[in-house]
Amino acid sequence: MDDRRIAILGEIPRMRRYARALLRDQDAADDLVQDSLERALSRMGNWRSGENPRRWLFTIMHNLFVDQFRKTRRRNESAMLPIENSEVLAQPAVQFGHAVNGDVLEALQTISADRRAALILVAVEGFSYAEAAELLAIPAGTVMSRVSRGREDLRAILDDGHRRRAIKVVEP
Amino acid sequence: MTRRAFSERDIHLALDGELPVDEMLDFEHWLAGRPDMKTLAARYEQDRAALRAALAGIAEAPVPQRLTAALETKRETQRGGAVWQRYAAAAILFLIGGLSGYYAASLSQPVATPLLTRMADNAIDAHLIYSNEKLHVVEVAADQRDHLQGWLSKRVGVKLVAPDLRALGYDFIGGRLLPFEKTTAAQFMYQDASGGRVSLYLTRDETRADTGYHWLQERGANALYWFDGGYGCAIAGTVPQATLTAIADAAYKQLLEG
Repeated sequence: MDDRRIAILGEIPRMRRYARALLRDQDAADDLVQDSLERALSRMGNWRSGENPRRWLFTIMHNLFVDQFRKTRRRNESAMLPIENSEVLAQPAVQFGHAVNGDVLEALQTISADRRAALILVAVEGFSYAEAAELLAIPAGTVMSRVSRGREDLRAILDDGHRRRAIKVVEP
Repeated sequence: MTRRAFSERDIHLALDGELPVDEMLDFEHWLAGRPDMKTLAARYEQDRAALRAALAGIAEAPVPQRLTAALETKRETQRGGAVWQRYAAAAILFLIGGLSGYYAASLSQPVATPLLTRMADNAIDAHLIYSNEKLHVVEVAADQRDHLQGWLSKRVGVKLVAPDLRALGYDFIGGRLLPFEKTTAAQFMYQDASGGRVSLYLTRDETRADTGYHWLQERGANALYWFDGGYGCAIAGTVPQATLTAIADAAYKQLLEG
């Protein structure tokens, strides 16, 4: 195995973490990581040597996720009410929730995918706004607003988990 | 200098490390005078901690074989080919060993010599102590790299070069001199974009042994360590073994070349 493959190997744990944050299911998350690794290998030439592989790999994975997400939505397997339209966000009281792991991951899944991705990249994976902007191919200001809105959404959902679950719509 | 007007927006900037350093103090003052905003900032920090905790297990868990196999064999790997994947996983282990010439050798090595183990033990101790420091992580910072390398080489008695690990996402942040077995050791500290730290602990080895890679796991930290070419090196961090292996391979080459 060459140096570059070893460098990629070292990124797999972080890729799995980001994928798991994007997708609810661990197997689906690992499928996404596997697809990303395969795509990365087929495009090794696009990676300049000496460059940090993390951003490159995360960009590949994010683009695959967006493709998949669009397909899933088109198939209309399940639909959520857009969070923007829900009543949940009507100024919930600030309170200290005692969220356990499962709650916070569930809550994360109900945030819109755009905000979820931005929030995780910055707050968990430690990318700067500028790095996340490059990765997501959006302006840094948009990253900033997605992160802050995502954070507000998460807080609202954690504060009002039951009501949120009640308005989840699953189409037959 | 007039203080600018802060708002809820700045809570997000501060939390994300995007607030300019020279505004931090004014921001803290503003926050101190706004209990509502202070509560909100604390809440967001708490939610972030919950998120990180909920996702930490995934990054620490062993990587499934199908993923490492995907990296080695791009055409032949297929989902569901369980038996084949086992062969692929075996092949990848063999290949990693073949490349470094150490990993595989370490499997057949006799028990690590006590001195070797004590070095790894010290490395983990030093890592856990200093990597958790907020203000005094290093004694001499990376901006004085040449001075630091020269000084530590002199004190440890072997030519030391802080390896460049930027290709793996780790920036060099500095180092310090430490005691080891009544002599000296050097510690080089590295940090990734999320603030995660790994350190290299280096000593002089009079016996000029060549031990191959060994592993030690203690108090939640991993260390990968070896003696070779007149020096001993232990790389410590609370990161998965695959990350340490990648760092060790990069560091090993640079230490010998330097």
